[in-house]
Amino acid sequence: MKHDFKELKLDRVTRRFAGSGGHVFNALSELTLTIRRGEFIALLGPSGCGKSTALNCIAGLLPLSGGTIRLDDERIDPLPPERRGFGMVFQNYALFPHMSVVKNIGFGLRMQGVAAAEIAPRVAKAMRLVQLSGQEHKLPGQLSGGQQQRVAIARAIVIEPPLILMDEPLSNLDAKLRLETRAEIRRIHRELDRATVYVTHDQDEALSLADRIVVMKDGVVQQIAAPSEVYAQPSNLHVARFMGYRNVLHLTVREERGDRVLLEGPDVKLTGVRKQPLAGSRASVAIRPEELTIATGPAAENIVTGRVDNVEYGGRDSLIDIVTPGGARLHLRGPTDVALGANVHVYVPPERVLVYPYDGSED
Amino acid sequence: MSATPAATAELRAQRAPFDRALLLVVPATAFMLALFIYPFVYGLILSFEPPQGGWLANYQKFFTTDNLWTTIGKTLNLALPATIINVGIALPIAYKMRVRSRWQRFVTTLLVVPITLGTVLIAEGMLTYFGPKGWLAQFLQLTHIYEGSIRLTHNYWGVLISLVISGFPFAFLLILSYVTGIDPVLARAAATLGADSKAQFRHIYLPLLAPGLAMCFCLAFVQAFSVFPSAVLLGAPAGPTRVISIAAYEAAFEQYDYSLASAIAMIMGFVQLVIVAFVLSLRNWFYKGPVTGGKG
Repeated sequence: MKHDFKELKLDRVTRRFAGSGGHVFNALSELTLTIRRGEFIALLGPSGCGKSTALNCIAGLLPLSGGTIRLDDERIDPLPPERRGFGMVFQNYALFPHMSVVKNIGFGLRMQGVAAAEIAPRVAKAMRLVQLSGQEHKLPGQLSGGQQQRVAIARAIVIEPPLILMDEPLSNLDAKLRLETRAEIRRIHRELDRATVYVTHDQDEALSLADRIVVMKDGVVQQIAAPSEVYAQPSNLHVARFMGYRNVLHLTVREERGDRVLLEGPDVKLTGVRKQPLAGSRASVAIRPEELTIATGPAAENIVTGRVDNVEYGGRDSLIDIVTPGGARLHLRGPTDVALGANVHVYVPPERVLVYPYDGSED
Repeated sequence: MSATPAATAELRAQRAPFDRALLLVVPATAFMLALFIYPFVYGLILSFEPPQGGWLANYQKFFTTDNLWTTIGKTLNLALPATIINVGIALPIAYKMRVRSRWQRFVTTLLVVPITLGTVLIAEGMLTYFGPKGWLAQFLQLTHIYEGSIRLTHNYWGVLISLVISGFPFAFLLILSYVTGIDPVLARAAATLGADSKAQFRHIYLPLLAPGLAMCFCLAFVQAFSVFPSAVLLGAPAGPTRVISIAAYEAAFEQYDYSLASAIAMIMGFVQLVIVAFVLSLRNWFYKGPVTGGKG
């Protein structure tokens, strides 16, 4: 079992399941990804997108239906999980309820046949790393959710795995603890200098933790890129929607000039940037709420006029909904003093209007 | 100083109101009192009222008469091996059956069928199959696998086999429910930490199953210890399978000495109690809480 590595290569990793009535579906289709040492990779997507399937395939808990996994030059996909030696943190922690905290953390070392004299100091070191000292002899049932999660992390890292796999590890924690543990996970990743694959459906978690994000949908990879790129330049409409582009309008293409596209709706005229080749006369535009601003000057390019339909006070600013005369609804962030029912003009810079091919949905 | 009516009402409201659902316990309590507690106490008192001699005469007689006190050993000699075999075989099969598969349902049904057969029916079948001229003996001799005489009925082995056949389904179903109650994610976590399937069984399943196994052992033992029909039909009721229930039956219905029969029944209960208490005390060595891996 290796403790050190250069890269883990997933090549067209596929997993099929038999659904009801003998129907076979791809839970994961041809995932190709190279994870380098020191990298933090987040697999991001809604539930059922295949991200946990991908993680279980890497861990060896699910056999592959196709493709290969290599750790440097060694092919590891035929190996059972116990011979891969990847540390895994489960969503519900999966702590052994009958073992004390030290026994839980030392379990992997005992399985590897590490001498008892060596186990104690390594467990103590892992406990210090996750700041759990003083809880050594408690049973998991006597710990809080946050402490249980730390035990699960310590248990996974104490075996010094080349790769740490985390399956939505924060989803059972409350909001405050989630933020704290998130920072902890990033710190632990830096200190260990191995690689982490982190499954989540929370884009904030993925953006704040990862070096690269793999966005998935229906078992298929949509985009693999750095957080800043996934945030600002989503590769398709699905990724845009998932990354918080709440305003999606379906408009008619009037003119294409380079990558600039002029689009028109019943009472909306917008210029945007083309992100994918367009087909046909219809296209969808995606805009983040925070990129729309209430305009004060005279009507000009990329101005939409509408009536304020809803205002949600948010402290520093408000979340405002406006409805155009044609019935299109836009969400934006704006000043807290906007009056309900007022007519406003909102502006969005053309480079922040992302244009994708029309996807057929009218929401 | 008297409290205001409002304050009194408030205090009354604070006191836990009588839960009328508790009345549902009444029939069961009455049933227990009439059909268990009363006969037990009646039998206990009766056992201290022998027709002749002092109040301990029945117990003195039991422990000084050779064909009475030896029944404890003979019954234990059947019940303990039968229980160990049943629990011992049921555990690995139930462990294998924990994963849902095409065969799980079929095998489970097949294994549980003997539960529907009474001990008398099992005895009848065994006499035909295992008897000196039974199918098994004929088959073994025909194929020259074993030429000697085969005696698996009307002796110790006949009763033991019958206890295994009738007791196994109980042990199997009980252990299966314990095994499937253990969160499978624990075994997966152990696997990622380097535990192969043997180590997963030893370090995860076995310790978590131990309290359930102890409970299963007790139930299977109590069932086997009260063996009666198969000891008569398949055993040698005058010899090695003269179990304690036969002694009690003879005292009650052949000698019409209900007082002695009650004493034998009390001794039978006491021996069971000692074994059960011992096995249950072993449970304290193991973890007994919920068998899941955390929140979720």
